[in-house]
Amino acid sequence: MTAAHQSSADPARAAAPGPTGTAVLAVEGLHTGYGKKAVVHGVDLALQDREILLMLGHNGAGKTTLVATAFGMIKPSAGRVLFQGRDITGRKPAENVAAGIAYVPQGHGIFRSLSVRENLELGAFAVTDKARVRKTLDTVFQLFPILKERAAQIGGTMSGGQQQMLAIGMALMHEPKVIVLDEPSIGLAPNLVGRVMESIATVNREFGTAILMVEQNVKYSLPVAHRVVVLKTGQKVYDGPPAPLEDRVELMKLF
Amino acid sequence: MEYLIHVLVMACLYVILTTSFNLLIGFAGLFALSHAAFYAFGAYATAILTTQYGLPFPLPLLIGVAMTAGVGALVAIPAMRIGGHYLVIVTLALQVIVLAVLLNGGHFTGGPDGIAGIPKIELFGVALNSPQTFLPLAAVAAVVCAAITFRIARSPFGRALKAMRENEAAAAAIGKNVVYMKVAVFAIAAGLAAVAGSLLARYISFVGTESFTIEETIYILAMVILGGTGNLWGSIIGAIVLVFLPEALKFVDMSPDVADKMRQVIYGLILIGILLVRPQGILGEHRTAPRVARRERTDAHATEELGPVAAAPGDDVTIRARGLAKNFGGIVAVRNFDIDLKRGVITGLIGPNGAGKTTAFNMLTGFLQPNAGTIELRGRPVSGLKPHQLVQAGVARSFQDLKLFTKMTVLENVLVALPHQSGDSIAAVFLGPARIKRQEEENYHRAMEILAFVRLRDKAHESAEDLSYAEEKLLVVARLLATGAEVLLFDEPLSGLDPTTLQEIFPIFRRLAENGKTVCIIEHNLDVIKTLCDVAVFLDEGRTIATGTPDELTRNPELAQRYFG
Amino acid sequence: MDLFLQLLVNGVVNGSHYALLGLGFGLIFGTTGIVHFAYGPVYTLAAYATWALVALLGLPLIAAAGGGILIAAGIGVASYLLLYKPFVDRQAPTFVVLIASLGLFIVLENTVGIAFGTDKKVVDVSPDIFLLGPVVFTELQLWQIAALIVVGSGLAAFLRLTSYGKAVRAMTDNADMARVIGIDTGKVSMLVFALGSAIAAIPAILILMKDGGVPNMGFIAVFVAFLAVVVGGVGSLIGAVIGGFLLGLVENVGMWQIPTEWQSTIAFFVLFLVLLFRPQGLFKGT
Repeated sequence: MTAAHQSSADPARAAAPGPTGTAVLAVEGLHTGYGKKAVVHGVDLALQDREILLMLGHNGAGKTTLVATAFGMIKPSAGRVLFQGRDITGRKPAENVAAGIAYVPQGHGIFRSLSVRENLELGAFAVTDKARVRKTLDTVFQLFPILKERAAQIGGTMSGGQQQMLAIGMALMHEPKVIVLDEPSIGLAPNLVGRVMESIATVNREFGTAILMVEQNVKYSLPVAHRVVVLKTGQKVYDGPPAPLEDRVELMKLF
Repeated sequence: MEYLIHVLVMACLYVILTTSFNLLIGFAGLFALSHAAFYAFGAYATAILTTQYGLPFPLPLLIGVAMTAGVGALVAIPAMRIGGHYLVIVTLALQVIVLAVLLNGGHFTGGPDGIAGIPKIELFGVALNSPQTFLPLAAVAAVVCAAITFRIARSPFGRALKAMRENEAAAAAIGKNVVYMKVAVFAIAAGLAAVAGSLLARYISFVGTESFTIEETIYILAMVILGGTGNLWGSIIGAIVLVFLPEALKFVDMSPDVADKMRQVIYGLILIGILLVRPQGILGEHRTAPRVARRERTDAHATEELGPVAAAPGDDVTIRARGLAKNFGGIVAVRNFDIDLKRGVITGLIGPNGAGKTTAFNMLTGFLQPNAGTIELRGRPVSGLKPHQLVQAGVARSFQDLKLFTKMTVLENVLVALPHQSGDSIAAVFLGPARIKRQEEENYHRAMEILAFVRLRDKAHESAEDLSYAEEKLLVVARLLATGAEVLLFDEPLSGLDPTTLQEIFPIFRRLAENGKTVCIIEHNLDVIKTLCDVAVFLDEGRTIATGTPDELTRNPELAQRYFG
Repeated sequence: MDLFLQLLVNGVVNGSHYALLGLGFGLIFGTTGIVHFAYGPVYTLAAYATWALVALLGLPLIAAAGGGILIAAGIGVASYLLLYKPFVDRQAPTFVVLIASLGLFIVLENTVGIAFGTDKKVVDVSPDIFLLGPVVFTELQLWQIAALIVVGSGLAAFLRLTSYGKAVRAMTDNADMARVIGIDTGKVSMLVFALGSAIAAIPAILILMKDGGVPNMGFIAVFVAFLAVVVGGVGSLIGAVIGGFLLGLVENVGMWQIPTEWQSTIAFFVLFLVLLFRPQGLFKGT
């Protein structure tokens, strides 16, 4: 399990709603880190259109650093970030949001002192067409009925799982083509993790959004992934289908 | 000419104020803006003790200093709990309260009119009633007080202060008693300010609240910032510049009131200017190799060995923890943690996220108190000890986020961690200098040996912030080793390093064990665990699930299942 | 009892004054994290500008007040752009920004003194005086209470209903997330500096009318404002209002038993105790 498989869409999935084989978000030869701490040492990966790509790896392997760099929060020291084939390396997060990339950072990226509705509306801050925003809000409420129930509730008073759904809902508000999720299951009780993963799969299925998800909870995230990438000490050590990783002992060799 | 001498006298007083203030805010990093209050205490104490109780020189001075030092020690109490801008506002509040007390003290403090008619000092039959006669005394006082601050700054205590300033948690983790240091430095800074106050009272024979306002503190602050925090020569220069500079205004025609305000505008502008253009001040923080270093550079013989570790009789188990438990308000982080850490063995702590590894680790090192269970260090129970006490007993830890003393040199980072330094005590600094000097020499050699062990000897005199990431990780090991602790607990010592660097650093850890240390590490990279650890402990749900060799544990399907949730 | 009632009313009036100060300061501090000591001189300058517009240019009071508010807002924005932003941009440590703002405080406070002299500036208002049972109060004191209510509700409406207001709340709550969704934190910072300074101008102008203006009036203002915010909890505007209000009440009712000159000392003593035992404030903000 040490050779990195080259990424190409699994032909068996091409027909069904799923990855279509075009890279919507990619990094090439990416070197990045914080200050003098170089964390990612030359990684290539490509998120296909309509695909759920799961990124695994031990703590400190560089997963968060990589996705934060892809989104524009960190400037890489070398390599490129490409969105729909265009070079977006070093572009500011706000521009990436406008172009159609959403980012849900670790630890429930919501505004805890604002209400659910206000949070969702802020998710669409960059969208000028207010009628469109209202429509999207309805769609999000349909997807997450619990958010509609608690539309007036203050974000910080909701449970962890609900906050995570709110964070995902916020990401959906500007109808992104890609959502980057950093450990959506962190701090959640196991049964809630399942539900959050379900909603992520639903979003991918119904809206065709490509999803790049960093996760530590393998049990619930592996089943929804179309493809898996594993990082170890800043390098990619696996890029292929999820099935071989069902054998946990084999997976442990990658950590 | 007489006027020039007067300005010189004031400069002497301000040298005392700036050097003492710098000790507090520059070296100790305690941003207490109450210095004018301490200044006032000294002045008023002398004023009252002379005019109302008729005490002769030097009694009012000494009593005033002692009292103010006591007040300083009290102010240290809020400084224990709060820092940053909260400390600033609390000390500013204190300043205002003191001023209000002085203003409303009626007959006792003279109220808004102040106290006049303070008798001049008479020395050797000469009344010090003019700038010329007062200057020698002022100058001597300035030299003595400045010398005191220099001595402290250059002592092991001063080095510990800087470490505390850089990172309080790390300072505690290398055995420094932070509470003692804060109280001591506050008391000394306050006492020295009181000396200046007492002299002021005797010089102009008057004390009034106008001399001790917030503006006064900001004036002294401007001098320290201008000269450079952390540099005492800078404070002297800052004092001289900002006392003489405004005198240039005398050549411009304006009323004394306006001139006074103009001076303050200048201070404010200088303060802003310096921070914008050269925040480290004119001289920047003083960073040199310790005096000892200049004497002997022939350490070619510094070996890569650590010297013999006393073989303990009987049991090889150094730390034995049983049934440790910790909950945080209802959430159980650790419920039943057992571990045996052995001499010469590297033990790894592994487990899924949230398993409780960090909490367990924090309990072993005194950073968290267990709710249940026991920890024994060679049979002696140590569960209640605070971090700095545990270090002194022989259990030390490193931090995941390094917490290096970035503004200190590599050598200083190691020096400050060496144990049993009599120079950590202020009393010893002044009463036992010979012993301290001897220890410093021994410690210098010891520190260099340790740096050689981690292959950082060449970087000894570089600033820690100039190191590469890998070198920083090595310095963390060196600093921990320097504590002399028998048990070394590393929190993610090798995270973030690329595979090549890892191969270079592995042997250093192995040699720690070979030299008889008891080592325990938390690492998330299982390759590291497999390469380094002789034994691994698997935690999940806050309990010890399994113990064995890393290979055994990672090949176990059940554990693998647990690992990934 | 009569005295107590009078002190209570005075407490409510002063409380409103302090609450407004806390509101403006808290808006700036909570959103940008900057301890804006120069808030004091901005307060002073608002009063002086208003006085100057009346005394030197002969404007009617209302217009002069409007001018004072605008000038305060301008100085607030200028201090952000010229002083704080350069430090924030180069990620200077917080205490550097704090010292710089102390420097600005000194510069501005003394410049006012030099430019206008130290005599008290007054505007002729001749307020009406009312009696309610044993309690005496003036029209101006009513204005002070009204100011809190009007400004408070206005600000609340702005923050709740407008998109800029929501951007401010978002940035106060989670500045990183605000950037992630595309909010320009620089622009929002300018906005709160302008608003916060404008809010400070109102109690300043009322005090000008009530007691007159002196060059060091700003020191107490910023001090009390900081106090109110810290007591109430940083990030919570309601906390700042309640903190300021409590302060005013305690200060005045305290005088029932404690001699007048210890008035301000009480305030600082309260601060001392709160910071010692509950540093996060009474209403833990975000």
